[in-house]
This record gives sequence, C-alpha cells and structure tokens, in this order.
Amino acid sequence: MKTLRLLVAVSLLGLGSAARAAELNLFAWSEYVPQAVIDGFTEETGIQVNYETYASGEEMLAKMLAGGASYDLIQPPDYIAEVLIRNKLVRAIDAKKLPNLKHIAPEFLGMPHDPEQKFTVPYMIGTVGIVVNTDVVKEPIRGYRDVFQSKFKGRIVVVNDNRELVSWVLVTLGLDQNDITPANLSKVKPVLAEWIKLVKVFDSDSPKTALLSGEVDLGVVWSGEAARLYEEDKKFSYILPSEGAHPFVDVMAIPASAENVAEAHKFLDYILRPEVSKLISDEFPYTNPNLAARALLTEEQLANPASYPKIEKYNTFRDIGKGAAAIDQLVTDLKSAQ
Amino acid sequence: MNGAGRRPGVVGWLMLAPLLLWLAAFVVVPTGILAVYSFCERDELGRVVFSFSLQSYARAFDPVYLGIFARSIGYAALTTAICIVLGFPVAWTIARASETWRQRLLLLVMVPFWTSFLIRTYAWITILKSDGVLSALLQSARVIGAPLELLYTPTAVVIGLVYAYLPFMILPIYASAEKLDGTLIEAAHDLGCGPLRTFREVIVPLTKPGIYAGVLLVFVPAIGMFAITDLMGGARVPMIGSVIQNQFFQARDWPFGAALGVVFTLMFVVSYWILQRRSAAA
Repeated sequence: MKTLRLLVAVSLLGLGSAARAAELNLFAWSEYVPQAVIDGFTEETGIQVNYETYASGEEMLAKMLAGGASYDLIQPPDYIAEVLIRNKLVRAIDAKKLPNLKHIAPEFLGMPHDPEQKFTVPYMIGTVGIVVNTDVVKEPIRGYRDVFQSKFKGRIVVVNDNRELVSWVLVTLGLDQNDITPANLSKVKPVLAEWIKLVKVFDSDSPKTALLSGEVDLGVVWSGEAARLYEEDKKFSYILPSEGAHPFVDVMAIPASAENVAEAHKFLDYILRPEVSKLISDEFPYTNPNLAARALLTEEQLANPASYPKIEKYNTFRDIGKGAAAIDQLVTDLKSAQ
Repeated sequence: MNGAGRRPGVVGWLMLAPLLLWLAAFVVVPTGILAVYSFCERDELGRVVFSFSLQSYARAFDPVYLGIFARSIGYAALTTAICIVLGFPVAWTIARASETWRQRLLLLVMVPFWTSFLIRTYAWITILKSDGVLSALLQSARVIGAPLELLYTPTAVVIGLVYAYLPFMILPIYASAEKLDGTLIEAAHDLGCGPLRTFREVIVPLTKPGIYAGVLLVFVPAIGMFAITDLMGGARVPMIGSVIQNQFFQARDWPFGAALGVVFTLMFVVSYWILQRRSAAA
C-alpha cells in the first residue's frame, strides 16, 4: 500500500509543476483529506488544488528537505512540526485571516510542538491503542502487558513504526517515551525482543486488514483504523493502554518556501468551517479538534470509543533528532535476531 | 569479427548518443551521488552534511546487516532455483510448440504484466490468507482440517517472489531454446544418448546463455525486493530492500542508506562478473 501511494505521489508530481493563475500545492497524508472537501474548495474559490501524498511524517520531511517541489500547505505530525519550526522551515500563520480558528478546542492550541501557537493549526488528533476482537479474546485486555503475552503469539498485528514500538516499551517500563538515551534503549531491548517474537504482522498502512480477515485477534494500531473496525463490527473494541497512551496531533503548516501563501490561508479557513470539518470526520473518524464541527456529528460518531477516547493529558511525541537512527538500528537488530 | 573491433564513426557516435546520455543521466550520475552520500554524515534534521566519514560503512559491515544481506541472498537464491525448475520445462515446451501455439503461450506468460504488480500481490494475499481461497478449497476437499496458516510466513514470501519473477526466467530460456537446432537432439539420440544424457550434455549447454540471463534477471532484483516481503511476509524479518528504504524515510539516515546501497551494487557487479566469466568459460 505504501508503495502504491508512492506511485500515486510520483504521478501527481507532474501535475504540481503546471503553472496556473490560482493554485495550491497541498502535501498531506494519504487518505486524510476527503476529495469532496478539495472539490468544494475549488468550486467556491476557483483555486486549483494539487494534492500530493506521503505515508509517514519522516517521508514528508525527507521530500521537503530534498527540495525540487514547492509546497504551499503541509500536514506534519506534531514532532515533525516541532523540527520544522525550530529550523525556521515554516512561516507564521496569520490568525486574522482564519476567523474559523475560534472553533478549535483550547486544549489543542499552544501544545509543546508550537507553544506560541504561531505556526500550526491542528487538523486531527489520534491515539495509538489496542484493538481486541472480543469474539475470540474473552479475557480483559487493559494494556500492553496484556497484549504481549506468549499465549497470543502469532495473533497480533502492530503498526510497522519503529518509534512506536520503542515508545510502548518505554511507557510500560515507566520511562519517558521521548527520552531516547542509550541507557533507556538497553532497558527496552530485552522486553522488545520478546514482544517482536509474538507479532504476526507489522503493517502501518492498513493494520485493520489482518484483524478483519481474522488472521489476528489483537492489534496495536492507529485510532482511525480502530474506529473504522468498530464501525464495521462492534466486536472490535478499542482500549487505551493503561501504561499510557500515545496521542498524536496532525497539524497544518505553511512552508517558508511557499509561493501561494494567500491561497494556503484560504484553504485553512475553509477546512476550519464546521460543516467542512464535519465532512472530514465523516470520512476519517479521528478526534476532531473543531468543537463546532463536533456538534454536527451524530451521537453514534461521538460514541465511537476510538474516535473520542477519554484522555486526561495529551503527552505527544517530541523530536528526538538522531535518536531515530538508534531506534531503527535496535528494531532492525531485534527483528533479524528472532 | 569484421566491424566489431572498429571504432564507431561520427554516425555511429550520433546513434549511440541517446543511449550514452540515458546511461549518464540515470545510471552514472545517481550512482555517483549514492557513492558521495555514503561517505557523508547526517545532521540532526536528516540532511546530508558533506564531511568525510567511514561511519556508515563501519555500520554496514556490522553482523546484523551482514546477516540481513545473507538472508536476502538466501531468499533470492531459493527463488532463482525454483524459477529454473519451474521455468525450464515451460520455456522448452513453448519453444518446441507449433508457431501458432507458441504465440498464444507466450502471450499467456506476458498477460499478468497487464495488471499492476501490487494488485497481483494483493490477489495473492486473498488467495493465501487463512480464510482465503486456497484454504477454503483445501478444507472443502478435506485435504486439511484447520485453516491454512500460510500468509505472513517465509513460504508466502517465496511464493510471492517466484510468482513475480518466473516470467523473467521463462523468456530468456525460451529465446535460447527456440534457436536450438532440433537436429542436434536427433543426432544425440542416434548416437545412443538417453533422454537424460541428451538433456544434460546437449540441451543444457546449448541453452546456457538463456539460463544465465534468467538467473541474472531473477536473482538480482529478488535480493532487493521489499514490497513482497513486507506485504506477504508481514514485514516480520527485515530484508535488505526494506532496510535501505527505511533509512531514507523512517530513520532519516541517508548516508547509511547510501552505504548499504553501494555495498549492494558492488555485490551485483561481482556476481555479474563471476557469471560472465563462467559463461565465457563454458
């Protein structure tokens, strides 16, 4: 699926270079911005939207740094936004041009990645949590320790994201998920070695597939995937790990090199409109930070535990710099050794 | 040999120009960039910093990565062996068929290429998963009692690889087998060779160029394949292709990814050289 998206992205690259009077080069996650929203924006404003996609925040960063294409609006996850702000790769957003920003819940403003609330606008919030097929697994599952038990060997799917894997072990050991030191990684190693042996599938793109087909019964997946599973069949219950759930905030930002800044602001305000934001929630059932849009959702949508879990504090990922390479090496080592 | 040893004239160079330009733009330059990056370092953001370092190579020869190389080569070798065993009889049959049948059979070999490779891989997932087509068929035929646990295993990876690369083995062997003079086989029979000996001493040596070409076309890309190993193997055991890909996106360590790529390319060159020498000797 990732490769498929890459191919789509590459084929869209060609479109991005077509010079038009009014256009907006949007660089966003695959399967995250509904086509209806883009079409609606073009219809209303006449601004052509070129939607190029990526499958991970790191991929986005790599392509942005490689240059070559100019993007007007990007959609990084929190910890990538933090790096971009620190390196002055994004420009300040003019809040005066975004009258609809007032709908955003205050808890999602001024977060650690953008403490001054100058550079980003929250798009959607999600969590990484546990999905259980309650038809098969009858015992209560509360946290990571309940999932990664030897009796569930070969019945688990997890996202194929090395940093996520390491962060689950860190919080299980009572450590800070953002404290990637050699000492902490050596504590993570023996636990993660055992966990990796139990996993049947590593899949970031569509972990719900293995759960739906009955190939596995337990999963640690993105909440959006879990919400769709729950919509499909109520037997898939979503649990926030008792050891500590990892929430993530995907934001919108304008790169410093953007050429169509006015268009980018227009698009931002457009998707902040409650009725437009509702369309996004309909298609991608993550936590919508837009309170006015939430008021338009059905009771059933709001009751979906994967979309609106009870979270006290949003303890998000922070940038770890070169720690990403250490994590990659550790996980590659452990996957090879099994 | 007349002409082959002569240097090309102006017209010859002009005709070669598109090829040379293509080679320069898409082979020489990217390989050069890869080589340069592999000796660089990365900054905190993951950008390449141009300062000389052998750090990436030191890491590339770490036992972990050597093990991954070895595993990838093992899978590719097994895939190649299975492709020869399956592909040779097919290629031979096609080459010996009548003109009309030959065209039809060749078409059948190529039909799968009309569909996207990824879609075909997803079709295999549908076939192999435990509530999939194959499992249901075998269960209803009472061959097996429990659902088949095949998807996300090494067996599934090899099935996927063999499926993807089999045509690349069949076509070159077919090309060799088609040119093979049938009278030579008759002569072998007349001189008292049994079928096995004819195969070993006449058919195999005469189709060797095709077999070598097939081995190169299957073995080399199979080492670096990552889509099939991720999709059908569940990304459980790392293959060199996915490890390299991870360096560019997940780990943001381009110099290390480049160093792995250079090592990988050198391995191709060496294996190609060995095969060339052997086929020249044959």
